[in-house]
Amino acid sequence: MRIYTESMEETLRARKFLKQWADDGSLSKEQYQRLEQETVSDLRTTNIFLRLVLFFFTIIGVAAAAALFFTIFLSRPSDQTTGIFLLILAAVSYAAAEVAIAQARLYRYGIEEALAVCSVAFLCVGLYFALFSGVPYSSRQTEFVIPAVGAIASLWIWYRFNLWYAFPAAMIFAVFLPGYWTSSHTAQHLFIAALYTAGLICIAPIRSRHRFDYLEDAYSLSEAFLWLGIYLIFNLKILALSFPPHWWSHARPASEFAASFYWTTWVLIWCLPPLVLIRGVRQKDRFIIAVGAITSVLTLITNKPYLGWQRHTWDPMLLGITLTAVSLFLRRWLALGPDGVRHGFTAAHLSGKDKHTMSVGSAVLGLITPQSITPTPQATNPEFRFGGGESGGGGASGDF
Amino acid sequence: MTILARLELWKEQGAISTEQHTHLASLSRGEPFSLWLELNLLLYAGVLAFVAGLGWTISTWSQQLGDVVVLAILSIILTASFWYCFSRATAWSAAETAAPTPIFDYVLYLGSLVWCVELAYLEKRFHVLSGQWDLYLLATALLFFFLAYRFDNRFVLSLALSSLAGWFGLTISHLPRHQDAAYRQYALLYCLLIVTAGAILQRLKLKPHFLNTYLNVAANVLFWAILSGVFASQDYGLWLVGLLIACAASLVWGLRRRQFAFVAYAAIYGYVGISWMLLRDSSDEISTLFYFVLTAIGMIVMLFKIARRFGRAE
Repeated sequence: MRIYTESMEETLRARKFLKQWADDGSLSKEQYQRLEQETVSDLRTTNIFLRLVLFFFTIIGVAAAAALFFTIFLSRPSDQTTGIFLLILAAVSYAAAEVAIAQARLYRYGIEEALAVCSVAFLCVGLYFALFSGVPYSSRQTEFVIPAVGAIASLWIWYRFNLWYAFPAAMIFAVFLPGYWTSSHTAQHLFIAALYTAGLICIAPIRSRHRFDYLEDAYSLSEAFLWLGIYLIFNLKILALSFPPHWWSHARPASEFAASFYWTTWVLIWCLPPLVLIRGVRQKDRFIIAVGAITSVLTLITNKPYLGWQRHTWDPMLLGITLTAVSLFLRRWLALGPDGVRHGFTAAHLSGKDKHTMSVGSAVLGLITPQSITPTPQATNPEFRFGGGESGGGGASGDF
Repeated sequence: MTILARLELWKEQGAISTEQHTHLASLSRGEPFSLWLELNLLLYAGVLAFVAGLGWTISTWSQQLGDVVVLAILSIILTASFWYCFSRATAWSAAETAAPTPIFDYVLYLGSLVWCVELAYLEKRFHVLSGQWDLYLLATALLFFFLAYRFDNRFVLSLALSSLAGWFGLTISHLPRHQDAAYRQYALLYCLLIVTAGAILQRLKLKPHFLNTYLNVAANVLFWAILSGVFASQDYGLWLVGLLIACAASLVWGLRRRQFAFVAYAAIYGYVGISWMLLRDSSDEISTLFYFVLTAIGMIVMLFKIARRFGRAE
């Protein structure tokens, strides 16, 4: 069912490990060269930059080809005709993705990924035009077919091609499902949470069979997305993060939710992060630990809006001190263990990959930071107030 | 065959020693499991949240707190941060050096950000330089360059490059009429300056690993500036020539140095600029769509060839 066999995937995984170990100095150059010969793969791979660019141009090419086809061959087509041709294009795109892998032996090359993504897009839009657009008495209740098919198609792409981002795409499609059946926001949230929980229940036993093999990361990432999805569905104040603080201070318990549901979700947003963190730590799963950490921070940030309490300007400082203290405490606690290890965890970096990630990330984050926390240079406006910011600079340009 | 099975096989074949097998197998199983990256990200987020809150608090409560309290708090944090960095730093080396302590980089980052907040407060309250913000930015950029090179810190280097870019932007805003053309010229000057500086410093073997940061920032600023020239309603011919030269240079550099980000820059920025030029006056839908189909195929074929020849998986 999967397009890449276990042997192909494991060979590529072994090559990746070998390169990492050689870079770290765990293998000598001679050993690396010898072992690399034993992990030869006929699949074509490329680096992330060329992959992204190839993805971009394939999307442009496919979209333009589809538009050209409609412009040349179909003058003023009915919605149903458009829909049928879009469905045909979906099939063609999908077939092209399969052929690109089977014939050109592409693996994470951008081209086959873009074709697979286009097939899902064509399928959803095509279904809409073929079944619902322009139909006078189409029932809104049946339009759920579109996100349902989108979710199923995305899940298939995720499974068949092992493309990680198809899984969150399926989760996003699922978010739109209950809106077709009920106008109750509570019911919608509960339905989506139930769906994601069902996903978790399905994935948990499967992933335990793939410990240390090539599917471990795929299932781990999917589980992490599901945990994050459940949290985001239950955190009713997550949107408040993007609103100005004076809106939060007057925030009432959201009127569209029943009070019992509202306060249950408040309890849940406090219960979920430790639960996820414990699961991540027990599984030694990086993605789930990350979700546990992110959701913990989100809970701290949204707690006051939840309770209708006023936020203070020093709250971010307290958050910063908390995060720093947790980081320092954990680092110290781990370092004081025998050989710097406690319960199988260490604060030392064992792989050059982490260091490389951090050094590239630090350069990028360093460029972003001034824009996110410091004001815009405004030389000419005396009324300018400290805050905001968009044009860079080290921040020595603010106004109070 | 899983990686653990392969390691077992390689040990039996004698390709790796027993010690290597034990080490690599434990790495594959995540034993021990390193939280290094997560703890660093937590520290970064902590510093960022703290400084954001500090700036917000000061901007809101500066009247109530009073200048002395605000400046005292900021100065204490600033002094403590820089004291920590200068007292813990190892002897300077021109080569890449590791941070002496795990939190060193973040303390330096905190100090740098607090410096920005304090400087902004000083100018707002006391008008020391009478609104000459560009001088503050220049001084800040110079300080950050010094700190970045002294402590081998990419975070602060990025802040320095960002401050310098801000200085160029502010300088032009002092001109009586700011026009896009003037901004573009300053952007080009900025790129020229940082590329030259980066190249000279690399040639002098002064933190040569910083060159990539310089080049990535310069490439993006350069392409944005050129593209804005190409998009301009007049005098765009010269900018198109500039775009072609920049794309060629970026492509050659990317392929020679195996820095595929530069290949991506050349492909994307070049495609956008040339497409804009060619389609600027096009009103025919079919020919426009034909253009996109053919050029996308052309780009895919070209990039496919490049990927086959140069761009193996990272």
